[in-house]
Amino acid sequence: MKTVITITLALTAWLVTAPLAQAEPTGLEIMQAVDNREDGDDLKQTMTQTLIDRNGNERVRHMVSFRKDYGKDKKMITFFTEPSNIRDTALLTFDYDDPDKDDDQWLYLPALKKVRRISAADRGDYFMGTDFTFEDMKQTPELDDYHWKLLGSETIAGQDCWKVEGTPVSDEVMQDLGYSRMVQYVRKDNDFTVRVDYWDRAGRELKHLKIEKLEKIQGIWSPLKIVMTNVQTNHRTVLEFADQQYNTGLKDRLFTQRMLKRGYRE
Amino acid sequence: MERLFRQVVHHPWVILLLLVLMTVGLGSQLPKTTMETNIEEMLPKALDAYINKKRLEEDFNAADMVVIGILNETDPHGIYNPHTLKLVDELTNWLRTRKEFRTIGLSDLLSLSTIKDIRGTADGMEVELFMPSPPKDRTAIERLRQRLEDNGIYMGSIVSRDGKGTLIVVRPDPSYLGRYHEIHALLTKKLAEIEKRGGPEKLLVTGRPIIEGVFGIYMPQDMQRMQPLIIGLLVLLLALSFRNVRGVVLPLASVVLAEIWMVGTMAAAGVPFYTVTSMLPVLILAVGIAYAVHLVTHAQVDLGRHPDKQEALVTTMNGLWMPMLMTTLTTAAGFLSMLTSELVPMRWFGVFAAIGVSYAFIISFLLIPAAFALLPAPKRKDKPMAFGGYLDWMTRIVVHHPRRVLAAFGLAMLVSSYGLSQIDVDSSLVSEFRPSDPIRQADEILNARFAGTNTLDAMIDTGRQDGVLDPQILKGLIRMQQAAESDPLVGDSSSIAEFLAEMNKVMHAGEAAWKIPPEASDLAAQYLLLYSFSGAPDDFDAFITSDYRQAHLRIQLKNDSSHAATHLIHALQAKTGEWLGDAKVDYAGTAYTIHRFSDLVITGQIKSLVAALVLIFALCLWLFHNLWDAALAMLPVSMAVVVCYGVMGLVGLPLEIGTAITGAMALGIGVDFAIHYLYRYRYYEKQGHDYGAVVAEANQDTGRAILFNAVVVIGGFLVLLTAQLYPQVKLGALIAGSMAVCYLATCYLFPVLLARRED
Repeated sequence: MKTVITITLALTAWLVTAPLAQAEPTGLEIMQAVDNREDGDDLKQTMTQTLIDRNGNERVRHMVSFRKDYGKDKKMITFFTEPSNIRDTALLTFDYDDPDKDDDQWLYLPALKKVRRISAADRGDYFMGTDFTFEDMKQTPELDDYHWKLLGSETIAGQDCWKVEGTPVSDEVMQDLGYSRMVQYVRKDNDFTVRVDYWDRAGRELKHLKIEKLEKIQGIWSPLKIVMTNVQTNHRTVLEFADQQYNTGLKDRLFTQRMLKRGYRE
Repeated sequence: MERLFRQVVHHPWVILLLLVLMTVGLGSQLPKTTMETNIEEMLPKALDAYINKKRLEEDFNAADMVVIGILNETDPHGIYNPHTLKLVDELTNWLRTRKEFRTIGLSDLLSLSTIKDIRGTADGMEVELFMPSPPKDRTAIERLRQRLEDNGIYMGSIVSRDGKGTLIVVRPDPSYLGRYHEIHALLTKKLAEIEKRGGPEKLLVTGRPIIEGVFGIYMPQDMQRMQPLIIGLLVLLLALSFRNVRGVVLPLASVVLAEIWMVGTMAAAGVPFYTVTSMLPVLILAVGIAYAVHLVTHAQVDLGRHPDKQEALVTTMNGLWMPMLMTTLTTAAGFLSMLTSELVPMRWFGVFAAIGVSYAFIISFLLIPAAFALLPAPKRKDKPMAFGGYLDWMTRIVVHHPRRVLAAFGLAMLVSSYGLSQIDVDSSLVSEFRPSDPIRQADEILNARFAGTNTLDAMIDTGRQDGVLDPQILKGLIRMQQAAESDPLVGDSSSIAEFLAEMNKVMHAGEAAWKIPPEASDLAAQYLLLYSFSGAPDDFDAFITSDYRQAHLRIQLKNDSSHAATHLIHALQAKTGEWLGDAKVDYAGTAYTIHRFSDLVITGQIKSLVAALVLIFALCLWLFHNLWDAALAMLPVSMAVVVCYGVMGLVGLPLEIGTAITGAMALGIGVDFAIHYLYRYRYYEKQGHDYGAVVAEANQDTGRAILFNAVVVIGGFLVLLTAQLYPQVKLGALIAGSMAVCYLATCYLFPVLLARRED
């Protein structure tokens, strides 16, 4: 009799836990998958950045940008094309994977005809007057900065997603990066983060990030429209990407100060 | 009317029930009472200062900021020591985690831990926090100090030039609007905790939200403290006069009911208490008691004369109906004349004071006869009336030394006229606190060390996109800043032009000669783009709109007196065209609000005085049917007003919101004395007495009533001297003084003039 009970219990335990253990990755595993998602070795695309203030006033900038991977490091060059008073302004960035190494940045100002080095921003700083911080622009936040916890599954825009919560590992991280909590929604089919909600240091809801358009281009999932809304200030940033060309074998000399000065030619 | 009076004395229970029902009804509204401490809400909504302030908030994301001062006067290096810098960092991080504050952008939270340095280096530009973490050793600290001084933008505004103090400027969360007292309480508690740890730092807090928060704390405190004082005073005076229980309880019940009705009506109408109207409850108790006193006095006399209780009371009501109605009307007219003012609190003050005295009249007129009808008739006692000796002495002076009386008043008028010519106009929020108040002292200390806690905001609209980036406009902004800063009361000013000039310098290898705004519009646009690489999206929201069409120039002033603001505004307005061409310039900010507020105080003052004079004169004319008597009735109180303003001029007390309402108020309350006196004087005159006897008779009954009335009103207003809010204190003293003058003019000068007329 005793054996029967033991076997039944063991069987029940196996029935309950086994499928879960097999199907459910941990929060960290999900985020690692996002981090390792394929994004091409290099990319050329055009970008439209629309800043919308709380009164609905828009400021639109157009640019062409190039990116090339060097292992885990990246080089990027961006040429502004519109509005006319900033045309030919260009930015060159060397982005290092090592969080302890500051990024290098140079800016060319055509009105001055000079290239200037600009200091690396802190990771929690805002990027180019947008509602994104430098950290928000990355594929994932630095994974070591947060404890990742799987909260469950949710359907976002008709897609089955993992709901993963990130909480800063220390008070210092929270102060530096500005968030006391974030929740990422990651599509189960392609490891793409389609929505992120952020909470500020005081625990108030701060920002919503939404990928509004996502397409597979040359076999690589590419965002076409991203909207970041600051729910406290009602300031919004819309980033639209087009004309993506992956893996065209961009030359190394494109990512130099000389090219910065020369400007973008079609 | 008489039929109504009979109903009252024959159905006293019905009357009492009605009064109870009304009191319960209006009393149930009391919990709805609210307060308004925002000075902009006191302005008419169509006024430019109000509209511009809203525009400043809309277009430039501006807000009134809380200012925390950290002073270190014991350390030889001032705030430049590890302990103080660590404290700044700790407080900044604490503010970031509190829901009471909004700390998103740089303009939301300014402190040594958040401000950024823009520095030129050989190969480029560095934008970084001055203090990413608090430095611990001497060299690092000295380097921080050097960098702050080299940069210069934050000298005076965030760190004091003498290095002994630093400020944290933080924006309250918008959801806390109207609840600033909670922010004040939170900060007071936090700062006390820090001080308890025993560091060498002295911590202070000020700023518009804090000042408004403290108003919100003081108002109910003042009301609660003054209530028992004034009631105690009334009990004492009533007991002295009537020497029986009903003589104390009934008048007191009448005015307390009137107070409940008035505040209940205010609450039901959704009208908040303002600093000025918070004295209404005290005012109604002091002014309204006169009705009940007259009724009790006459009822006791009539009950002694008539064997039938009900008939005696009807006689009392018949005899007092007209004069009481008249004095209610004149007092209400004085208050209602404040409706000519454009300032919201002044208007509500007039309306609810008029409603309050009307309630006091109605309640007294119903409650006291009804109560007497229920109570047994009082035992007749022939006690000597109080103050008989003084009243006889008064008669002797008036009858035998009329020249001395005239000379004394002539002299008073002469001195007052001189004082009147010296009167000054000045409004200030901070001076609404007593000089010893911690908030006023904190404001003074911080203004002495830093650029100033008050702002004048100029909004420049160029009318076209990117217009602000025009080199001419940028240059104009710099010249306007220079002109403003040449005023000794201006501590600092800032605009987008200043930041662009700083960036221009940095991009030219830090050469001081390049610290000028960029000379091409494109370059300015590129600098702003460049800055955006390290700034938050709303870093420059405060200074330029996102279409670069409008700019905001902020001027910091070291005090909030309207005097200083008016002077500066006029100086700037004269040059605007020269600096900024056809760009449209509008002003806002506390300094502008106070400047416009002060204008309105003066025009409102003049209009309400004229309105009160005309209204009250018309009422007197209606009552006396005689131009001369009507004019005469106005005389004592007019003199009181002249003396009141004369004294203000002599002692240097400026006209401002608190003191400005004294004139109309004094007119309305003080004219009652003259009406009662003249009424009685003519009454005895008609009975054929000679002058001396008429004066003696009038002095013994009306003179006594007026004396009581004057003592209560003066005492009531002196209770205001205990208030924490300074306007209350000043108003209390001025009205008390005016009433004293009015009393003297009525009882001494009046009969002398009446005698001259008879000659």
